[in-house]
Amino acid sequence: MDTCVLQSAVAEANVGMGRLVAASGPARLWAVLGSCVGVAIHCPRQKVGALAHVVLPESMGRGDVPGKYADTAVGEMIRMLTGLAGPDALFVAKYAGGASMFGYDGPIQIGQANVEAVEAALRKAGIRVAAQDAGGRAGRRVTFDCGTGKMIVEMVGHPSRVL
Amino acid sequence: MKDAVGCRNPQLEVLHQLFSSATHDASAAMCRWTDGLITLSLDEVREIPLAAVCSELNIEDNLLTMVVLSLEGELGGAMILTFDDHNGRQLVGSLLNREVDESCPWSDLEKSALTETGNILGCAYMNALTRLIDRELVPSAPYFIQDYGASVLQQALMVQAVASDQVLICRTGFHREGEELNWSVLFVPTERMREAMEAALHSAP
Repeated sequence: MDTCVLQSAVAEANVGMGRLVAASGPARLWAVLGSCVGVAIHCPRQKVGALAHVVLPESMGRGDVPGKYADTAVGEMIRMLTGLAGPDALFVAKYAGGASMFGYDGPIQIGQANVEAVEAALRKAGIRVAAQDAGGRAGRRVTFDCGTGKMIVEMVGHPSRVL
Repeated sequence: MKDAVGCRNPQLEVLHQLFSSATHDASAAMCRWTDGLITLSLDEVREIPLAAVCSELNIEDNLLTMVVLSLEGELGGAMILTFDDHNGRQLVGSLLNREVDESCPWSDLEKSALTETGNILGCAYMNALTRLIDRELVPSAPYFIQDYGASVLQQALMVQAVASDQVLICRTGFHREGEELNWSVLFVPTERMREAMEAALHSAP
């Protein structure tokens, strides 16, 4: 399933490439990222959140897998979170990823393009970015706590960061 | 065997034939490089949903030692040679004929031995595929990387992800004196490479 709302009994879920998962309470959503970007949106008061594993910057009109693209993921997350938190929910975002894993300096840097597209989509939706950890040449494992809104970023050979 | 599952799909079956032939050549090259110690066999040629690819291949947040080669030119693709750290060190130890201290960071010589292994394997695969599909394939210089396996595979899958929500993966396993090793080669063709391979096999006499 590409998008889903996690049942409250489920404590943890892996968000694979192109997936989007929303959950409430203490549920933890995690993803391993290279050039992809993990976008988390949190509603602090209602303690609900969602994590999308964005693979590509633009959907080019394809909306069947909304979590896969930056321009469709943010809108779908807002729709799902509004369903969980109600119409008065206020959103705040964090994101991580967008690395250039193979270290090339070529003209097509998909990681950077993903980051720029995520920033643009969040800006367009009027959602404030509270923290981010993006770019570089190394992978990241992110764990997002839907209750607290904390995002833990792990990188090989580095201490963990909490966003 | 997982490849039997792939063979139920006629398109995957022809790709399986092609990769089997290329793996045979790569195995011969690996056997020479390791003085008869290591051989290869094709494990599977599969189409996997993008969202499940890393969990299906069981490389989600595993820390791996890898050598990556990209295919340059019109068709494109990537080859990733993966080990857990212990197995990578064991291979390097046997190639250098010495004990390797696994508590120390990889030395330049050890990295070089592993990237050369990737280079030999990659060139053997590319030569075989070039011959089979009659298109020139040029591998990039091998790139040593230690990171999450999923992070590296993700970047290799980008071109396929643009075209489809299903991705094609070819996985090759290694054996030492008949015993399976925890090493893999993942070959990730682009859509154009896949089309060229299928066209070559359909036009074969």
